[in-house]
Amino acid sequence: MSSILKKTDLGAWAAALEAEVFAPALADGVWAYQPVAPGANDGGVALTHPNTARPPKNFAFPQREVLYTFEQLKGQAPKLTETLPNPAPVVVMGVRPCDGRGAPRNDMVFTGAFDDPYYQSRRAKTAYVGLACNTPPSPNCFCKAVGGSPSSKEGLDVQLTDLGDRYHVVAVTPRGEELIEAGGKLFAEAGAADEKESQRLHSEAAKCEQRTFGDLAAAAPALKKNFDSEMWQSLAKACIGCGICTFLCPTCHCFDISDEVTGQSPMRGERVRTWDNCQFPDFTMHSSGHNPRETLGARLRQRVNHKFLYFVENNGTQQCTGCGRCISFCPVGIDIVAVLDRMIQA
Amino acid sequence: MTENVYLPKLARIASIKDEVVGARAIKTFQVEFPDGDMFEHECGQCAMISVFGKGEMMISIASSPLVKDYKQFSIMRVGKVTTAIHAMKVGDVIGVRGPYGNKFPVNDWKGKNLVFIGGGCGLAPIWPIIQTAVAQRSDFANITVFYGGRSSRDIMYRAELEKLRGVADVHLSVDQAEEGWEGYCGFVPANVMSTGVAPDNAIAITCGPPIMIKYVIQNLKGLGFADEQIYTTIENKMKCGIGKCGRCNVGKDYVCVSGPVYSWAQLKDLPQEY
Repeated sequence: MSSILKKTDLGAWAAALEAEVFAPALADGVWAYQPVAPGANDGGVALTHPNTARPPKNFAFPQREVLYTFEQLKGQAPKLTETLPNPAPVVVMGVRPCDGRGAPRNDMVFTGAFDDPYYQSRRAKTAYVGLACNTPPSPNCFCKAVGGSPSSKEGLDVQLTDLGDRYHVVAVTPRGEELIEAGGKLFAEAGAADEKESQRLHSEAAKCEQRTFGDLAAAAPALKKNFDSEMWQSLAKACIGCGICTFLCPTCHCFDISDEVTGQSPMRGERVRTWDNCQFPDFTMHSSGHNPRETLGARLRQRVNHKFLYFVENNGTQQCTGCGRCISFCPVGIDIVAVLDRMIQA
Repeated sequence: MTENVYLPKLARIASIKDEVVGARAIKTFQVEFPDGDMFEHECGQCAMISVFGKGEMMISIASSPLVKDYKQFSIMRVGKVTTAIHAMKVGDVIGVRGPYGNKFPVNDWKGKNLVFIGGGCGLAPIWPIIQTAVAQRSDFANITVFYGGRSSRDIMYRAELEKLRGVADVHLSVDQAEEGWEGYCGFVPANVMSTGVAPDNAIAITCGPPIMIKYVIQNLKGLGFADEQIYTTIENKMKCGIGKCGRCNVGKDYVCVSGPVYSWAQLKDLPQEY
C-alpha cells in the first residue's frame, strides 16, 4: 500500500512528527541539511535540491563527538564521565538514493564484532525520508555503475517520488510506516494511476545517461592486479592531499581519537572522536617517522582500493554509492570513475 | 546496548623499571587493576593505554598470560603519549582497554623448537611467549633467543635474558663492536645467519624494526624455513583498536583485529603497508 502527500503538506507533516526534522535548504549558495523550524508550513519545506554538498552521514556519525570527559586533581586518580548520546528522534528528509545507500554501509562498519555505542545510539534514532531522482542526473552521478539506481530504496525508511504537485509515498521500513501514520489525514491512499505514474518515472529515470567505468565486477580484480602499477603515482600527481574526497563521501568513516584539554587544576578535558582522512600523511605515520603510505599515489590507491576491493572482500559490496561528490569537489579534477576505468582497461 | 568499548579501565602503575636510558629510552611498567577489572589476554595481544590529557596508544602486552596479578608494558619514548607515560611515577593512574588483536598460536607449537629473534623494543611483543615457554619448559623442545640492540646500552630485559641462559640458548648482539662486549657484533639477521638455526620441527618468531624483520625473514628462508614456520607481529598506527578508525588498514585486514600476529605465509599476501 502506498500513499499520496500534497507538496504543500510537507511542512505540516514535518510539524506532525515527534522528531527533530532536517531538510535541505540553500544557505550561501550551498545545499545543506537544516533544521525545519517547528510550524513550518507550506513552502517551509520544499525538496527542490539536486543534492546536498555534504552527505547526511553526520546524523549518526558527527564530525566531532565527545566519547567521555576526564578530570584529575594533581596526585589523584582521574575521574572519567561517559558521555553516551541519548538523542531525540531525528528525521532527515530529501535524502537522495545514493546517500540512502550510504547508511547500511556505515552500519556494516560500526556494528559487528565490536559494536560502536555512539554510532548506534544515534543511528537507532535517525530515520531517512528519501527522494527518488527523476530529473536528469548531475554531471558526476554514477549510482547505476555501483549497483544503485535513481529510485533505490536501500537504506531509506520512506521513499518519496515527485509527481509534480504531490509525492507518491512508500514506507520502506516499520519506522517509515510510523512516520506516515504520524501524518494522519495528510496522507491519502494512492490510486492505481499514481502508482503507475511513479513506476513510470522510476523506469524513465533508470534509462538516464550516467557516467560509468563499465563492469562493476571487474573493478576488484583490476585493482588487485594493478596494486603495484605506476599508474597510481601518475594519477595522483595533481593531488594536493586536501582530503575533500573523503570528508564529503557518504561512506568514508575513518576517524581520529584525541584529547582536548579544557582546563587545569584540576586538569580536565574531553576525549574526542573526529573525522579523519586517509589522504593525510599523518594518518598512517608511526611515531618513529616510518610511514607505510608515504606517497599521494599510495594514499589515492588506498581510497579507491578500500571502496572497491577491501570493503568488497570484507562485506560483499562496494563502499561507494556513486554520489559523485569526490569528483565534483576535487580541486584538481581527480575522478574516481576515470581512475576505475583506467584500472579496468589496464 | 553493549558495554562501551571506548571507555578504559583505570590501572595503577605498580612498578617502573628503566630498561634503556638516553635518546631511545625504554621503560617497563607493571600495572595493577582494581579487583575484578583485570582482563585475561593471550600471547601477542595488545592494549590501548591512556594518559589522560595526552591521548591513547596501542602497546603490546609484555607479560605472560600466566601472570594474573599485573600486566606489563615496555614502552619506548618516541611520541607525545610515550613521553608522558615516561614522566609518570609509581602510583600514578593510567587507562587501559583491551585486549585487542589475535594471538600467537602457542598451543600448536608444543613439542617444537622455538627460535625467537628480536631487535630493539621488539623483544616486548614476543616476551610473553618466551615467558610462557619457560614456565612450561617441558612442553617445548629447544628454545633459542636471538636479540640485539644498537649498542649494549640499548639491550632491554638484560638481567632476565641472562637468567634465561639456564633454560634457553641465548645469542645477544650489538650493531657495532664495543669494548667489553663479548657477544656477537653486527645486525640481528646476520647473527641468525652466522649462528645458523635448523628449520626442522622449528617455529621462528621475530619482531623488531621493519627493516630487521625483512632481513630476518630473508635469512630464515635461506636457512630452509618454510613460510608457515615464520611468525611475526606487525604494528601500525591505531586509534580505535576495534577495526573501525581505518588507520591500521592493510589490504582487507585491520591489524588491530586480524593482526598483529601473522605467519609469513599470511603476511606475504598482504600489501606491504606496515
